[in-house]
Amino acid sequence: MLNTTKLYRTIVNKEHHKYRHKVEWDLANEYAKKWLSPAERMADRFERVCREETPVILPCEKIVFMRTVANLPEIFTESEWKEIKSRHYIHELGYMSNLSPNYYDTIAAGLLKKRESADEYGKRAIDNIISLSDRYLAEAKKQGRDDIVEVLTQVPRYPARNFREALQFFRILHYALWLEGNYHNTVGRFDKYMYKYLKADIESGIYTEETALELLEDFFLSFNKDSDIYVGVQQGDNGQSMMLGGMDEEGNEVFNLLSELCLKASCNNKLIDPKINLRVCKNTPADRYTEATKLTKAGLGFPQYSNDDIVIPALESLGYEHNDAVNYTVAACWEFIIPNVGADVANIAAMSYPKAVDTAFHNNLISSETYEDFFEAVKNEIAKETKKIHENIKDLWFVPSPFMNVLMDCDIYNGGKYNNFGIHGTGIATAADSLAAIKKYVYEEKSIDKADYIKAVDENFENSPELLHKLRYESPKLGNNDDFVDSIATRLLDAFADSLEGKINCRGGVYRAGTGSAMYYLWHANEIGASPDGRRDKEPFGTNFSISLFAEVNGPVSVIASMTKQHFSRAINGGPLTLEFHQSLFADDDGIVKVGALVKSFIDRGGHQLQLNTVNLEQMKDAQIHPENHKQLVVRIWGWSAYFVELDKEYQDHVMARQAYRV
Amino acid sequence: MTGTVFDIKEMAVHDGPGIRTTVFLKGCPLRCLWCHNPEGLSAAPQLMFKENKCRRCGLCFKPCAHEECKPFGRCVHICPENCLEIAGRRVEAKALAAELKKSAAVLGDTFGGFTFSGGEPLFQPDFLLDLINELSGYNLCIETSGYAKSEIFGSVIDKLDFVIMDIKLYNGALHKKYTGVDNALILENFSYLKASGKPHIIRTPLIPGITDTPENLAAIEKAVGESVWEKLPYNALAGAKYKMLGMEYKL
Repeated sequence: MLNTTKLYRTIVNKEHHKYRHKVEWDLANEYAKKWLSPAERMADRFERVCREETPVILPCEKIVFMRTVANLPEIFTESEWKEIKSRHYIHELGYMSNLSPNYYDTIAAGLLKKRESADEYGKRAIDNIISLSDRYLAEAKKQGRDDIVEVLTQVPRYPARNFREALQFFRILHYALWLEGNYHNTVGRFDKYMYKYLKADIESGIYTEETALELLEDFFLSFNKDSDIYVGVQQGDNGQSMMLGGMDEEGNEVFNLLSELCLKASCNNKLIDPKINLRVCKNTPADRYTEATKLTKAGLGFPQYSNDDIVIPALESLGYEHNDAVNYTVAACWEFIIPNVGADVANIAAMSYPKAVDTAFHNNLISSETYEDFFEAVKNEIAKETKKIHENIKDLWFVPSPFMNVLMDCDIYNGGKYNNFGIHGTGIATAADSLAAIKKYVYEEKSIDKADYIKAVDENFENSPELLHKLRYESPKLGNNDDFVDSIATRLLDAFADSLEGKINCRGGVYRAGTGSAMYYLWHANEIGASPDGRRDKEPFGTNFSISLFAEVNGPVSVIASMTKQHFSRAINGGPLTLEFHQSLFADDDGIVKVGALVKSFIDRGGHQLQLNTVNLEQMKDAQIHPENHKQLVVRIWGWSAYFVELDKEYQDHVMARQAYRV
Repeated sequence: MTGTVFDIKEMAVHDGPGIRTTVFLKGCPLRCLWCHNPEGLSAAPQLMFKENKCRRCGLCFKPCAHEECKPFGRCVHICPENCLEIAGRRVEAKALAAELKKSAAVLGDTFGGFTFSGGEPLFQPDFLLDLINELSGYNLCIETSGYAKSEIFGSVIDKLDFVIMDIKLYNGALHKKYTGVDNALILENFSYLKASGKPHIIRTPLIPGITDTPENLAAIEKAVGESVWEKLPYNALAGAKYKMLGMEYKL
């Protein structure tokens, strides 16, 4: 078991950080003075950091390459960025992200072969990677590590000949993507493209299942060496998502020995990277869910499930070719993307359902004679918001990434084969619960006066405790398998999808409505005050496609029934239903089998994406007081897992507020 | 037929096959000192107060017009933190069955179903039988003390798929001392259960110094014979609910 080895402890205790240093180069001003093109700047910076890197090989380490340069100096000056932003829409940091490059062909071809068809900048990038690799080779020779010498003599120049070379090759490519400045670099369908190497090695007797697992654990560990440098919104939000399972082009399920070993390696390592995803469908056998639930028990928030039966046809209906749709993987969190050819921007913006309800509540409730009138007003607000998003995103521009371009099958500078934009939808439960309360109390029972209702919400219910109680605790809530409110969620999702239909984005692609929230569950919640569902001012929304934080529901069975009713085929950008289970549920094998059966039920009933958490509130409480005792406590945030003690308190509190189902 | 129910819990994984939704019927003839569902003892509705969430705002003392609040002198429809709850609602068997059936498909996917617990579910036999009839076709299970007239016990378990029954103490006098009732009926019903061939599990809660004595366990083991026998460790949190009900936990 890996987590007892010295290498594991070195990485977990961050002892390898001592090899790191920061560079203080003022590249931006230097480049600006020379009027260098963006591609030239990217190529030059990559060259310099590759040279600055120091090859480090840790004792017993089999998969090498780790960052010793801890930062990447900016390549544009502040005024240049200002200029760029005045002319272009810049997404997040401006670099390529959330792509799934073609590791398969590259590992099978070798970089020298890829160099033949690369452009000038791509050739330079490849040369720099090879020269850094040669310095690692020299270091391996110096240390007498013949095994590494053999591997690095072959890769990355030439095709990988075996499993270990393939893993090392992957590591070099993935490392180089980060070093170039790309982020949220996903892993893609790992068990699909790597299996042939493992299979051959097992057949020829080089590895047994046990020794292959050991190597894989070492490889998985490599994802955690530099991940603290790859910070997103919070530590852990780094996009190293790995997809396992799923159909091939012929509709057969890919689930092989490597898939199994990956589940085990993640379970044994108990580290937050890589982030494990599993594609499943109606034909997935029950025992696979049991195996996957053993990983859920480990408490990492893995695997996240995606349903092929829903996702593939939905992607096809958006215009993805069948062979591409069946090959889908996930971006950093859960957005569905296409490896090798897709240049979708799956997280370009977010629409807040509660904001739409809030606006209509204040502007249209009084004048709306029927609930349908009022719902129409909410729909209009959703449409207005997505129109605004659409009009705002013009002339999208990315900093060119020469090496990423080498690894993609299409020219991503000018857009890939697919250039669709994904929009998150935040706070669907808050909105659906609000509308249910309005429908019931204002229009059906007529027990709440419209003006009083608006006043109470605006006063954050300070003067209306009875109303607050009724709205919070006695009004219909999403997650109770109550059609009254579940159908409202369905209509909201449909309205969102409708509002995007027919719109062509600035790169010629379409828009995809999503069920994810990303970090907007906190951000959007602060845009409005209290809401008509009894949510107080400043209370966050649920994450992704989840129930409201204070909804008192019957339990996960009803939640699953509620949250599989919607038309996900129309809102397929991704974003899972999340269920939190107390650790005690997994105490025995019987519990594990039964949780697995519940997941199967969710998939068979047409749910699109599901993610389970194993939580222990008592431990989280203690970790807030004694963080030093809980350094390895892992929790799931929105589309990624993190070490609890490294999170800002608002994210910690949100995880603790989610309702956990006990036995 | 109406009955009194104090809770419905989803995701039970230890109360029969598959994932089960457990219906807790209110009222019990036993008074086990270690009872961890004290709100199930009395057949009458009871006020439960979650004191740890209370902000001492005093709003619940404001007079109100709700019929259900009257017996308690507190309003249960005003608390901003939802600290007050009435345990026990009267419900028609038909309506309850309809409510339960809504999520039955998911339970069925896991080869699970419904479990009747309490309280003592056999304490409301007519209601229970009504409910069982309404839910026929689903996988049904009971969790019972076995303390009921033989004809009631027999007529109920004959209609179920699975039975979970307690044998807490084998010695009649000790049984009477710690649970308030004699165990002759229970042992008689157990004989019926065994002879019926109905799939079942016998459970013994391990209460330190009371049920976990070598003599008691040996006697039960002998009586249980071929049946599946589970010994449940004592739940240290068992006493937590007593305070919410204004009751005293004597253990």
